[in-house]
Amino acid sequence: MELKKITLENKEGIYYLGFGKYEEKSMTVLGEETFQEMDYAFETIANDNGAKGLILFSHKENSFLAGMDVSVIQGLDSEEKAIEGCESVHVIFNKLEDLKVPTMACVHGICLGGGLEMILCCDKIMASDDSKTAIGLPEVMLGILPGFGGTYRLPKKVGLPNALDMILTGKQVRSKKGLKTGLVDFMLPKERMLELAPEYLNKKSEPKKSLTESLTDKAADNFLARKVIFQKAREKVLKTTKGFYPAPLKILDHLETNYGKKRSSFLSAEARNFAELSQTIQSKNLQHIFFLQDAAKKIENKDEIPSVKKGAVLGAGVMGGGIAWLFAKNGQAPLMKDISTNGLELGLQQASSVFRKQVKRRRMSEDEFQRVQRSIQPTLTYAGFKNADLVVEAVVENMGLKKKVFTELEKEVSEDTLITSNTSSLSVEEMAGALEKPERFAGLHFFNPVNKMPLVEIIRHSKVSEETINRLYKWCLDVKKTPVVVNDCPGFLVNRILAPFLNEAAYLLQEGVSIEAIDKATLNFGMPMGACRLMDEVGLDVGAHVGEIMEEGIGARMRANPMSKELVDKGLLGKKNKKGFYLYDDEGKQGEINPEVQKLLPSEKVKMSEIEIQKRMFLPMVNEAAYILDEKIVDSADTVDLGLIFGIGFPPFRGGLLRYADSEGLDNIVSAINEFADTVDKDRYALSPFLKKLAENKQKFYEL
Amino acid sequence: MKPVYLVKGLRTPQAKSGTILKDVPPPYLGHYLIRQMIDEFQIPNDQVDEVIIGNTGNPAKYPNIGRVIALEAGLHKQTSGYAVHRNCASGMEALSQAFVKIALGRSDVIFAGGVENMSQMPLLFGKEMTDFFIDMMKAKTPADKIKIATQFRIPYLSPVIAIEQGLTDPFCGKNMGQTAETIAKEFKITRLQQDEFANDSHRRATMAMEAGKFTEEILPLIAGDKLDVLVNEDVGPRANSTIEKLGKLKPYFERNTGTVTVGNACPITDGGSMWLMCSEEAVKKYNLKPQARMIDFHFHGLEPQRMGLGPVLAMDGVFKRTGLTLDQMDLVEINEAFAAQVLGCLKLAKEKDLAKRWGMDNPIGEIPLEKLNVNGGAIALGHPVGSTGSRLVVTLAHALKQQNKKYGVASLCIGGGQGGACIIENLEVGA
Repeated sequence: MELKKITLENKEGIYYLGFGKYEEKSMTVLGEETFQEMDYAFETIANDNGAKGLILFSHKENSFLAGMDVSVIQGLDSEEKAIEGCESVHVIFNKLEDLKVPTMACVHGICLGGGLEMILCCDKIMASDDSKTAIGLPEVMLGILPGFGGTYRLPKKVGLPNALDMILTGKQVRSKKGLKTGLVDFMLPKERMLELAPEYLNKKSEPKKSLTESLTDKAADNFLARKVIFQKAREKVLKTTKGFYPAPLKILDHLETNYGKKRSSFLSAEARNFAELSQTIQSKNLQHIFFLQDAAKKIENKDEIPSVKKGAVLGAGVMGGGIAWLFAKNGQAPLMKDISTNGLELGLQQASSVFRKQVKRRRMSEDEFQRVQRSIQPTLTYAGFKNADLVVEAVVENMGLKKKVFTELEKEVSEDTLITSNTSSLSVEEMAGALEKPERFAGLHFFNPVNKMPLVEIIRHSKVSEETINRLYKWCLDVKKTPVVVNDCPGFLVNRILAPFLNEAAYLLQEGVSIEAIDKATLNFGMPMGACRLMDEVGLDVGAHVGEIMEEGIGARMRANPMSKELVDKGLLGKKNKKGFYLYDDEGKQGEINPEVQKLLPSEKVKMSEIEIQKRMFLPMVNEAAYILDEKIVDSADTVDLGLIFGIGFPPFRGGLLRYADSEGLDNIVSAINEFADTVDKDRYALSPFLKKLAENKQKFYEL
Repeated sequence: MKPVYLVKGLRTPQAKSGTILKDVPPPYLGHYLIRQMIDEFQIPNDQVDEVIIGNTGNPAKYPNIGRVIALEAGLHKQTSGYAVHRNCASGMEALSQAFVKIALGRSDVIFAGGVENMSQMPLLFGKEMTDFFIDMMKAKTPADKIKIATQFRIPYLSPVIAIEQGLTDPFCGKNMGQTAETIAKEFKITRLQQDEFANDSHRRATMAMEAGKFTEEILPLIAGDKLDVLVNEDVGPRANSTIEKLGKLKPYFERNTGTVTVGNACPITDGGSMWLMCSEEAVKKYNLKPQARMIDFHFHGLEPQRMGLGPVLAMDGVFKRTGLTLDQMDLVEINEAFAAQVLGCLKLAKEKDLAKRWGMDNPIGEIPLEKLNVNGGAIALGHPVGSTGSRLVVTLAHALKQQNKKYGVASLCIGGGQGGACIIENLEVGA
């Protein structure tokens, strides 16, 4: 058989099976052809009486196996097909497991999903001591379970509690941790692995389990203890997923029911359960997001675009400090300028608080903290700005001030320094007018808190160069953010769609719907926090300000509810001063509903069904998204969904706002909006002509 | 000799030991000063020839701190770096070595300066305890270990204080305070004269601070447990200092008959300073506007027990070397290790018979007080030993600029019996 995916070599009876030699991409993935060739290889070894062992390795620099090609999983359009697919791989992997000769995998780089499931069939796993080596089963993140024997073999290798932890969270394990749990048998420097592998083939794995680890392993053999383990795991899953995601619960059921069963029946149960999950809408949606993210990470001629080596921030508040943190974390030693030492200290506090948390969790040493925090250069002058490749302005949201700052700044930076504004509400087009070289300027909108929110909006204007957009896009990827490119408009992409949602929540409150009911309805839809809670988070003053700007820019459809202004006038600013819709303690933990707000709301409460509340709040978002697509603010439904998932945590299991709209049926949505236009407010529910047309043509957002 | 340019000098705020800067690891008292200048002048990070850092504490964690600072500053890995130690003049020694290398045409771009975190100077185990540890490690059997353990004595634990040993002269056995007392006695310098001088140092320093005279030379430094505090002023100068208050302090080094107190001596201090020094070629290449030129330097030895007089001998040497005279100096810095020692220098500088006794042909002349340490000195600002030699030049250069004057000489006494001095020319006259 001619091998096109793997390599197979026999050196003095020891077979070496290598992956990735012919793979052009940086990561090697598993596919149909690879499986066939592996089958051939395992057969060959099984039939060779002179065989003394098998060693698996990768030809690639930093990737062992990245798992199954996700598009293959996406292509499984029926349960039967999925079962068939799993079972055919089971047969091949079983052959590996059943080989009479000692087998070992030498892992350097990432080894995920199907890659790990395969090497679990080997007698031993050797891993490099490199930080690039990461081993895990991420299937749960795609709404499925490991279907190539992972659920059967991992608990045997690392014990039930460790296996549950890995399978339910999808987290990746480093070699050192793997050595502790028993996943990894030997840890060696990557350069020595292949050379020493033959010696290690017959070695006993190094014992390293601690007493408590081996005790928990033993306990899992006991029926009652196992029951407790599953019970605890189930509670934890329900707490984190709120029941929106079927995969982790299915994984628990599957493992509990089949625990201790023989290989054949365990594996066929695994195939069935995999098949079932693979057809759920949640899994399809999660796969959709995987592809959205994957596509967002691609950028043409990436290596030719110059990297940012040094950053700079203007205005060291909460956002400025957060952005300085991001630069510092990525080795881009930022200058941070403000007009006062107090301002600079606020920015330092912001960065320090995030780094300190990592130190506390032992993710960062004190020495690293010193280095990285001190890489921020606080300054009251522009001295040094000439050396910055990217400047992010984060001063107060005031057009006059920003223009003045840009005029000043342009004299202090180099010819090709990128200048950006982290404005959330002002016109980027207008700002560009203040610059002599507007082509190197763009909006760069971060979300608060910068360390937690993955989205960054890159805002275009009429004079921006493509080079600028590309350099910013690449920088976002380099600092591990998810960028979306948006044309200038009030609120850009995310805030413009979020605005009617929050505005509508305020109107509902005024109509007499309770805070509890609104937040419960939002949470039950799958949002990470209730709408009122979110307003507290954003800051009621910020919300009121943005509300005004949106109404001014977009008109009656965004008519701002006067309530947030009233609350601000009463000194209720939200979480930042511990008083908003809720009360907060010193650590920012949410407490009771604020009685002061209750007094301002109608005392007579209206009962409204949860679905009605959800429709009132989420349909205006869909409607606004249609306007945005119509005005070509963004290029596609993909961008809208990516933006909302990573910008405001729109529930991933729904696949994004527009994918959700498509699944509900656009004609249904149109008639609901029209009904609200009649019964609630004709301006706020003014249907997008674009959406109307789509519905009439029986089209979907994702068919554009 | 080729001309040597002092392109820009910066320093950290200086703080009394045990206060706001006590936890700053020594490399971070220097690295950010370099980084700032690299950013400001856009010198590519692989175009720096060398980083030379004065330091006397030799922190165990950072051997050869010059190289550590070069790397922490983000300079290219190929950049050579080393530490120099000439006690109190280590920072000036760094500048001098850079001067020679540039003047000879061997180097074009050098960062030279000094750092010292005296708060972090360690307590050490004495010889007995060290021997005890070694024997314990050598012992093979438990019986041997027990045998050795029984030899342990509590006094073994009493620490050797590194800073105290460092401030005691190994040759004459006197500590630095005692050498100041010697000068006070021999030169008949009274307690009151010393206190008046110290009080004046605080007055000048606090006035300079209030007038913002240090804002250009100090680059604010991140400090605090969480590294979220920005320090931009010296901690040391006291606006409320009075001669009366100083007069109440007990003599520290000679309890009963002495005159030197902690009030008329410099405090133990943390701080750092840095110069970017360039050749003419580099100045042209990077389009730099140097603030000063280093004309020359001189070091001179004398008896360790009168080390405080070293500055005059060093100044005499550098004047002879350059042909310049004291009269031509617009400003003079004599490091204030002790008020007694500076006052001794002023006498030695002008009195013929004294000059003769110390081997000078002629006195260098009277140093007018209005030219001396115009922005205060180490008694108020502190004396981070490894840094002071270059810190004096930083402060001198900025003072010349502020007063629109041309020449200045910076000098200091050196523990062990030496003096150092260097002359600079302000290039921003009339600028």
